Amino acid sequence: MPDQMGEPNLALILLIVAFAAPLCTVLVGLWRPRWTGPAAIATTAAALMVVLGSYRVGDVSFSRPWVSDLGLAFHLELDGVARMFALLATGIGLMVVLYAWRYIPLHLAHYNRSLEEQPRFFGFLLLFMAAMVGLVMSADTILQFVFWDLTAIASFFLIGFDRDQEDSRASAMMALLVTGISAVLVLIGVLLLWVEFGTFDLVVLSTEITTSTSAQWALALIAVGALAKSAQVPLHFWLPRAMAAPTPVSAYLHSAAMVAAGVFLVRRFYPMIQQVEWLMDAMLVVGFASIVIGGIISLTRDNLKQILAYSTISQYGYVVVMFGLGNAYGLSGAMFYIFAHALVKSALFMTAGAVTEATGSKYMSKTGGLLRAMPWLAVGSGMAAAGLVALPLTIGFFKDELFFASAWERGSVFGVLAVMAASFTFAYAGRFWKGIFLGEMRTQPRPIPGMLTAPVVVLGALAVIFGIWTPWVVDIAEQAATIDVAHPAHIHIAYHLDLRAENVMAVAAWVVGLTIIFTERYWREAAVTFARLGDILGPERIYWSTLRSLERLSDWIHRIEVRDLRSRVATILAPTGILIGIAVVMTPNDDAFVIGGFQRTDLPLATMLIATTLASIAVAIPRGHLRIVLTLSCVGFSLAVIYALVGAPDVALVAVLVETVLGIFFIAMLLLMPRSILRFETREPSERSGVRRDVLLAGLSGVMAFFVVWGILSRPSGSNLLINTYDRLTPMAHGKDVVTVILADFRGFDTLGEITVISLVLLGVLGLIRKGRLR
Amino acid sequence: MTSPITRFGAHILFLPIMMVAAAVLVKGYADIGDGFSAGVIASLGVILQAVAYGPVEFDRLPLARFAPVATFLGLLTALSTAFVPVLFGKPILYHYPPAGEEVIHFGSIELITPVAFDIGVFLVVVGFCVGSLAAVAREIARRQAERENLAFERSEPSLATAETRARGDL
Repeated sequence: MPDQMGEPNLALILLIVAFAAPLCTVLVGLWRPRWTGPAAIATTAAALMVVLGSYRVGDVSFSRPWVSDLGLAFHLELDGVARMFALLATGIGLMVVLYAWRYIPLHLAHYNRSLEEQPRFFGFLLLFMAAMVGLVMSADTILQFVFWDLTAIASFFLIGFDRDQEDSRASAMMALLVTGISAVLVLIGVLLLWVEFGTFDLVVLSTEITTSTSAQWALALIAVGALAKSAQVPLHFWLPRAMAAPTPVSAYLHSAAMVAAGVFLVRRFYPMIQQVEWLMDAMLVVGFASIVIGGIISLTRDNLKQILAYSTISQYGYVVVMFGLGNAYGLSGAMFYIFAHALVKSALFMTAGAVTEATGSKYMSKTGGLLRAMPWLAVGSGMAAAGLVALPLTIGFFKDELFFASAWERGSVFGVLAVMAASFTFAYAGRFWKGIFLGEMRTQPRPIPGMLTAPVVVLGALAVIFGIWTPWVVDIAEQAATIDVAHPAHIHIAYHLDLRAENVMAVAAWVVGLTIIFTERYWREAAVTFARLGDILGPERIYWSTLRSLERLSDWIHRIEVRDLRSRVATILAPTGILIGIAVVMTPNDDAFVIGGFQRTDLPLATMLIATTLASIAVAIPRGHLRIVLTLSCVGFSLAVIYALVGAPDVALVAVLVETVLGIFFIAMLLLMPRSILRFETREPSERSGVRRDVLLAGLSGVMAFFVVWGILSRPSGSNLLINTYDRLTPMAHGKDVVTVILADFRGFDTLGEITVISLVLLGVLGLIRKGRLR
Repeated sequence: MTSPITRFGAHILFLPIMMVAAAVLVKGYADIGDGFSAGVIASLGVILQAVAYGPVEFDRLPLARFAPVATFLGLLTALSTAFVPVLFGKPILYHYPPAGEEVIHFGSIELITPVAFDIGVFLVVVGFCVGSLAAVAREIARRQAERENLAFERSEPSLATAETRARGDL
């Protein structure tokens, strides 16, 4: 649909509403911390309304040239895929925000933290939602990358929300590194595609033929980045660690948002990816590996959220497998699966959080028998768990029906694998629910706010409602699976009371799953050994050893370079002196070194130059620190006079000012040093070899610099092209003082870099002296 | 404590120095000077107060406390004048009004975006000079207070113990 100028565009409205949400919430929260939660609920609900409204409007696109020189466009497409993922981001988001409204104050109170930290939490949570909404709508690959990284940044702050816990910080860093570094792979892939096809536009890209080698590699890189975000083996290890986050974060990021972003990216590039056969096969392998590894480890965990984290790895494995199968059911099955999984998994995460809040324990072995005490939670999460294990009359039944159908169509081996996967799911989801709500009660639960139960019940009820009344969900998934609008995807799901393959496979999965649950004591040892083997040989070990060796490298460089001031200066002077020396010797220098004439008008300049030279020699003589500083100032001020004499008033002014401030800084630093150290340094004789080294280095670099300056001054450049250009352009830039215009305009980018460095140095100074406090 | 004359001098010089700094800043585009020089001049004016009144008194000035914040406000200003044009598809640091168009004047003051950029530079420089010196001053005052306490506790502190302690600091 072409966008019309002047008309409000729904895609743009959605983006604005989504990004207004964190902004308004933080502003309200700073004003009244108590109202942060309600503000977050209201703004998220507004975003959800816009998404729901978009289902009535149909596909909307918005495009404006952005940096047209580079071929970038601010291009949003609110199509079926974007609508479904935006619906998940805002819909699940609303449930999570409702939950967090009551959960976060309890969480903060538990750690003795101020309630004023609420805006920080809700701000980043909604920023994540907004980034997600932007990501799913962007149809320009660079724009997409920007939102992709924004999700990584927001997730870093969310996972590390408990910043006083070391565990939490390490987990946040791990999630950022794994998803951030793999994001660079996505960027490389996108740029490779640009080299190949000359466009960043996803709509154009998705119609291209991608059989060339570089296009295939580009797609492979994108797939690696996407699968790392979806926590697929072998880059899955960050997800269980990320459970250090507060529960609402896990319920949102690790069920419906962050991990969904990964498979979303695969979906966006799917028209291209499905042309590359080996990539499809690789996804099958990765998917099945994730199902198996996630499933087995999930069965061994005792920590409630860990069970769910490994289950998520396994569940997204299903999605990746369906992408890899790629037949008639594959894509639409994957979309349906993502939708169903997000509903039920976020409900289960919230259950885990509510149980922990009620019993004070994070472990399954310390909970149990809560059915009587928390009936609503039991029913709500029971419906969600039933959805996950694909019992009939829930949405989950259909997600597995599609999975079985697509696997069966590929071959019977895949069918068997699919049944195995489903029985794993049945086993760990069943174990999760049974462990919490059945058996003997180990801890008497405290009463918890109703808002910790309500979202679970709502999501569980939705899982059942959509299992009975399907058209709406089917429509959403069909729209999301449609690649070509002319040939919309079709999903046929219904209950059949016959012995077709899907039904037999489902029943087989339940039976095997039940068997796994009730034979725990026979396989437990083996599964635990498998999990421990993963800890020893797994990719997480590689991550840590890489991190450690990087740290060692940095320590080593630190020891060499910045041990003391002398070696610091030496590391700068030695290479400079040697490199310049080579350049001076290698350059043909027939008429390079000219000794010019001397006129009477040069007398003041010559006098000042002699004064400067004497002052510079004098710097090396005194041993008292204050005297050294003052002599250095003399050198600086005489240089300033020279600038003034050669007609550079701007430079002279700056030189005078800088010298003054520098002198003050030096003296302040000397005051900061313990008196005794200064006295010691002044009286003790220096080391002989050290002095010899210093003299050698200073002499070498000084002599070389002398020759370079002499060479340049002997040959005044033939044309003053640059200077003339600047002179000519200055009036056009509305300036009269060419130096200022150069600094603030022509070479403004350099200035920008310099002031950034100044700000960073200030941070360093404050970090060293005041432990990083700004005020 | 400095003499009353020094303090009086610092006191009456403060506003003129700030005036000069402001003039150098806003007229930079037409005359000698720019945001950087103006920033250093203003900082020297502030530092003069620090020297005259001592670190403790100086630390009470809101100016000294908010200086580091000023740095980052300045950086934000400069970064936004540089990158906001990018949002509108123009190159980085594109200036408004564009070349060849009329500029609003107040005397020799021009209302153009590079002046905003220069104000950013000014804030960064002031924030850096004042902020880091204030930090150093506060630390010096803290150590002095510590030393006085120590001297009060032990009537005769020996140089040797002071030296070992100082080495421990390093």
